[in-house]
Amino acid sequence: MKRRKFLVSFAMAAALAGFATCGANAQQSSKPDNKAIALTGLPGVKDDAKGKVTVENGKLHFVYGKKSSDISVASIEDVVTGEDSQAAVGKTVSNLSMVAPYGSGRFLALFRTKFDTLTLRYRDENGALHGVIFALSTAGAEPIKKELLAQGAHTTVGEAQAAAAAPANAPSKEPKQ
Amino acid sequence: MKRYANAILSLAILSVAFVARPLCAGEPQPVKAKASAIQVEMIRSDEIKLPAEFQISLYENLVRQLEKQGGFEHVYRDGDRRAKDAPDLVILHSTVRGFKEGSERTRRVTTVAGATSITIHCEFKNPDGKVVLEQDVNGKVRFFGGNLRATYDFAKKTARMAHDNFNSSEHKS
Repeated sequence: MKRRKFLVSFAMAAALAGFATCGANAQQSSKPDNKAIALTGLPGVKDDAKGKVTVENGKLHFVYGKKSSDISVASIEDVVTGEDSQAAVGKTVSNLSMVAPYGSGRFLALFRTKFDTLTLRYRDENGALHGVIFALSTAGAEPIKKELLAQGAHTTVGEAQAAAAAPANAPSKEPKQ
Repeated sequence: MKRYANAILSLAILSVAFVARPLCAGEPQPVKAKASAIQVEMIRSDEIKLPAEFQISLYENLVRQLEKQGGFEHVYRDGDRRAKDAPDLVILHSTVRGFKEGSERTRRVTTVAGATSITIHCEFKNPDGKVVLEQDVNGKVRFFGGNLRATYDFAKKTARMAHDNFNSSEHKS
């Protein structure tokens, strides 16, 4: 009888522990994953450097290894995600090459991971135009874009879409005769 | 016998040298325009819709390749205020004329299909707006690499073209 009670209480404790772990994992997974690959253009950073992107205090930080690179958000003239490009053009660069040894890349290419892109244009203190491309996990670019826009960055996406939509909307506003 | 063989060999070498010399001298050396600095304008794609990442990749690769192998003392970016004071400046205007986005996946699996190709009209102008050199440059990725590699191919070809046609005061080749 005692043994049965012990087993029941042990099972309940295990179940509670399981629920607690699941809850913690769910909280962790709800946090945005800011892992990114700086594909090109970030000053002082080698192409394809892996790190994390954050937007804080009016700056975009890219931390890779023990180093970091910053861009002032106010200097950003345009922020475009892969989804924006897809809406405008139809296709995007969404597959990441997998470097694999002994010719296995061709086979593994069938199972490549999809990713989202975040493209930035900004000007430095001399007015020189720079471009940066980040690769992020799928749908990872949009939250960063929103943060950048909230902190003062600009985008041409809305303007372009409005311009494209304007001719289509214009005749509907005219009174029918 | 050995003497004869040596004599014939040296005669052959001499005759080859005599024949080759006029051929080399006959090749016309391209006349290079003087330009010590270049300013790269942002790639324009008004008629052809180009994904933003391609446009930026073209521009960044172009700046990098011109710095590496263009042979210019200074490479200025679009809008750089310092370019105004640069002597012998040429300005590179690039306009996308053709773009066919392939598929890396198809390339890797078939090796014959899925090529990405981009054609860009390049105009090198002096600060007065006079065209010094213009040419269509094609960037391709046929077998290996992502679609953005076509932008690297274009940048390398354009930098080589600039190197072959312009000469800075310090860089004499």
